[in-house]
Amino acid sequence: MHRALTTIVFCLAATGVVAAQQPHLDQLRLIAPAAPGGGWDQTARVMQQVLQRSGIVRTAPVENIPGAAGTIGLARFVGSEQGRDDAVLVSGLIMLGGIVMHRSPVTLHEVTPIARLTGEYEAIVVPANSPFRTLADMIRALKERPEALSWGGGSAGGSDQILAGLVAEAVGVPPGRINYVAFSGGGESLSAILGGQVSLGINGLAELEPQIQAGTVRALAVSSAERLLGLDVPTLREQGVDLEFENWRSVVAPPGIGARERQRLESVIAAMVATPEWRDALARYRWIDRYLPGEKFSQFVDGEETRVRTTLMQLDTGQGSGGTLASVGAYPAFVLTGLAICAIAALVVGRGATAATPRPRIALSGTVWWIGVALVVNLAMAESIGFVPASTAMFWLTARAFDDRHPMRDAVFAVVMAIGAYLLFGRLLQLPLPAGPLEGWL
Amino acid sequence: MFETLRALSSGFAGAFALHNLGWALVGTTLGTAIGVLPGIGPALTVAVLLPVTFNLDPISAFIMFGGIYSGAMYGGSTTSILLNTPGETGSIATAIDGYMMARQGRGAAALTTAAVGSFVAGTLATVALTFFAPALASAALRFGPAEYFALTVVAFTTVSLLLGPSRVKGLFSLFLGLSVGLVGIDQLTGDARFSFGIPQLLDGIDVVILVIGLFAVGETLFQAWQYGRSEPEAVVLHDFTGMSRDEWRRSWGSWLRGAAIGFPLGVLPCGGTVIPTFVSYATEKRLSKEPERFGHGAIEGVAGPEAANNAAAAGVLVPLLTLGLPSSATAAVMLAAFQQYGLQPGPLLFTSRPDLVWTLIASLYIGNVMLLVLNLPLVGVWARVMLMPRRLLFAGVLVLASLGAYSLNGSLLDLAILYLVGVVGCAMRIYDVPLVPAVLGLVLGPLSELQFRRAMAISEGDISIFVTRPISLVLLLVAAMLLLGSRLLTRKLATAETGL
Repeated sequence: MHRALTTIVFCLAATGVVAAQQPHLDQLRLIAPAAPGGGWDQTARVMQQVLQRSGIVRTAPVENIPGAAGTIGLARFVGSEQGRDDAVLVSGLIMLGGIVMHRSPVTLHEVTPIARLTGEYEAIVVPANSPFRTLADMIRALKERPEALSWGGGSAGGSDQILAGLVAEAVGVPPGRINYVAFSGGGESLSAILGGQVSLGINGLAELEPQIQAGTVRALAVSSAERLLGLDVPTLREQGVDLEFENWRSVVAPPGIGARERQRLESVIAAMVATPEWRDALARYRWIDRYLPGEKFSQFVDGEETRVRTTLMQLDTGQGSGGTLASVGAYPAFVLTGLAICAIAALVVGRGATAATPRPRIALSGTVWWIGVALVVNLAMAESIGFVPASTAMFWLTARAFDDRHPMRDAVFAVVMAIGAYLLFGRLLQLPLPAGPLEGWL
Repeated sequence: MFETLRALSSGFAGAFALHNLGWALVGTTLGTAIGVLPGIGPALTVAVLLPVTFNLDPISAFIMFGGIYSGAMYGGSTTSILLNTPGETGSIATAIDGYMMARQGRGAAALTTAAVGSFVAGTLATVALTFFAPALASAALRFGPAEYFALTVVAFTTVSLLLGPSRVKGLFSLFLGLSVGLVGIDQLTGDARFSFGIPQLLDGIDVVILVIGLFAVGETLFQAWQYGRSEPEAVVLHDFTGMSRDEWRRSWGSWLRGAAIGFPLGVLPCGGTVIPTFVSYATEKRLSKEPERFGHGAIEGVAGPEAANNAAAAGVLVPLLTLGLPSSATAAVMLAAFQQYGLQPGPLLFTSRPDLVWTLIASLYIGNVMLLVLNLPLVGVWARVMLMPRRLLFAGVLVLASLGAYSLNGSLLDLAILYLVGVVGCAMRIYDVPLVPAVLGLVLGPLSELQFRRAMAISEGDISIFVTRPISLVLLLVAAMLLLGSRLLTRKLATAETGL
C-alpha cells in the first residue's frame, strides 16, 4: 500500500520535470530525531518530497525518533545503522547543545558528516508595550541587574538559550546570571512573549517574523551578519554586540561507511540542493541556504561544538533565580515523601480493614501465566523475527489463557489479525513496525 | 458579523464540491482508524500524509486534515468505551463510565452519546471559533505561568472526586503517578532526573504508555487472573438501539456544559485535552443528583467529557489561526501544512489569505457532520464487539496495545515499560487502588511543577505572584472552594440548576 501511495505521488509528479532523470538511489531513509511538526521533522519531510519528486531517490521514507534534543535519535542511529549506506540523520546546532546538556555518550564525531543544509537566524524581541525601544536600552537594564530581565525562549540548552548566553557574554554580563525561562516549543514561548509574561523573547526568526510584521512584538536585533532584505531590523553587530549566530541544520550518515558510499550520499544531497523544488521549499519555509558539504562542514561543526560547549558551561543552568522552592530538587523530594507516607498509610489502613472485615480473596487462576509467556515472547521476538510472527504468537498464547478449546481456529484468527494490523498500520499509515523476512514478503 | 457570515459561506462554497466531500470522507475514515489505535494521534497521521497531499489543491487537503482531526477524536472514544483502552489522553475520562456502560450492555447508548455529543460540541465550538476567535485569543494571552499553575491546581481538585472508596489508596495512586512523572529531563534546567542513565528515559514515560498499560494490559491480566477460563458472569441483555428517551434527556445538559468547558480550556495551551475532560467529568459528578452512579455507568460521565474533548480540539485552532501559535502537536503539524502552501500563519493570516482560513473552518463543520453520518448507523455494529468471545477480544487488545506502544518511538523499551505498567495496573486492581488518579498525577504533576517554577523564576523567587495576579488568585480561590466548600457548592449549584 505504501508502494501504492508512492505510485500516486509519482503519477502526479510525472507530468512535470522528472521522467528523463535516472534515480541515483533506490531507497534513502530519512531519520528525523524529533517529533512531527518541529524543524528537523520538517527538514526531513521536505527532503522526502524533493528527493522523490525530482527522481533522485525512488523512495525516501521518514522515520521519527524523538527525544532529548535529538540525542536519543543520534544514539539509536549510531547503534543500529552502523555501516549502512541507505540512511541519513537530520541533525543540527540543537543536537550539539543536547549532547552537552545531557552528557550524551554519543557525539557528532561518531557519525559521517555529509553536509550542512539550512540555517535560521534568531531575533531578540520585546512585547509591543515594553519600555525597551532599542537593544541599547535593554543592555543598560541588563547590566544594572541581570536577574530582573526574564528571557523567554525554547528548551534548555537549545539555540535560543545558547544565543542568550552569547549575548550576555558579549556585553560583559556573566551568562550564569541570565534569568532564562525555558518554554517547550515555539508556540508556548511566543505566547508568553506576546502576552508580556516575560521581559524579552528570543526565538527563531521564521516564527517571529509574522509577529514583527504585524507589530505585535518589537524586534530589537537579528543575529545575521548583514541586515536582511525586507526586514527593517538592525543586526546585533550594528549595535555593538560583536557576534553572529544561526540555528543550522544538516544531514549526517551512519558511522563506518566507505569512501564510495560517502561520495554517493554527498552527490545525492548535492543533486537535491540544486533542484528548483529545493529552492522553492527554502523560500516557503523561510530557511536560508547554507549548503556546505564534506570536509568544510566537519570543520564548521568542530568550531560550533567548542562555542556551544563553552557557552553552555558558563550558563551553569543548575542555578535558577526562583529561590529554593523552585530548585530542581524541591518537587521530587515533596513527591517521594508523599508517596512514602501514602504507602505506609495504605498498608496500615489495609491491615486494619482486613482485621475487622476480612475481604473475600480473589481466586488466582493458573491461566494468567499464559499471558505472561505471551508478553515475554512478544518482547523477545518482535525485533528479531518481525511484527507478524511475534503478534501471532502473542495473540494465540493470550487467547489460550481465556479458553483452550479452539487452538486451530485461534491460530487462524491470530494470523489474520497480525497481517491485517501490519498492512493497515505498517504499510498504509507507514508506522515504524519491526519487519522481518515475512513482512518483507508481504 | 455579516462579513463573517459572507466569508464563511464562500468557504463553504469552496468546500462543497463533490470531490472535496470525498476527501472529507477519506479524512474522517482514516482519522477514525488512527484514533482506534492507542498511541497514534492525528499529529503523526497528518505529518505522514503531508507529502501525499502536496499535489492536491490546498482546499481539498485542509478538508481532509479537518476530517482526520475530528475522526481521531471520535475513534479514541470508541475503544475507550468498548475495550477500556483510551486511544489518546483526551478519552481517559470517557473510559471510566463508558466501559461500565458497555459492560452493562449499553455500549450502543454510550457510543451514541459520544457521537452526538462530539457533533454538538464540535459544531458549537466551531461556531465560537468562527465569531469570537480574535477576542478569545487575546484573552488567552493574559495567562502566564502563574495562571497556568493555578489552573493545574483547579484540575488537581478533580482528583478528590476520583479517589474511590478509600481516600488513602486514592492518594497513594496519585502520588504513584506523580512519581512516574518525575522521570526525565527537567525542562527548565535540562538536568536529567531519575533516568538511571537510560537515554530513552530522558524524555520521561509517555502518558500514552501509562494509560494503555494500566487500562488495557492491566485489564487483560486482571480478567485472566480473576476468572481464567471460567466465564465471569452471565451475559447481560445487550441493547444495540442507541439511547433511550431518558438518556437523551440526561445527555443534553452534559453536552452543552462539556462544550462550554472544553472550548475555552482548549484555547489555553495547557496539557491538551486532559484538563478539559476531567474538569467536565468532575462538573457532571458535582451537579448530578445521584453522584454515586458515577463510576458505575453514568451516561453524563460519557457525554460531558466527550463533548469537552471535541470542543477543546476546535479551541486549539483559535491561537493557531489568529496568532500563529501552535499550542498542540497537531496544531504544529497544521502549521507545517500551511507553510507547505507557502503561507505563514500569524496575526495577518486572516487578512492575507481569508479563503484558506474560511475553507478550513468550513471543513471542520463538514467533518463534524460527516462523522455523525458515518458513525451513528454503525453504533450498533461496533457495540457488538462486546459479544466477541473474551479470548479473541483480549488477545486483540494486547496486540493493538503493543503495536501502539511500540510505534510511539519504535523502541522495545517502551514495550517492556508497557507490560511492567500492566502488571502494576493488575496489582492495583486486585488491591482496589483506583487507576485514574495515577494517570492524572502523571499528566498534571510535571505541568504543575514546570509552571510553578517558571512563575517563580519570573518573579525572582517571590511566591506572592500567585495571589497578586487577579486571574491566578481567582483560580486558586475556585480550587479552594471546590476542595473545602464542596458540599455547600453542590447544593448551591443544584438549586441554581433547577432554577434555570
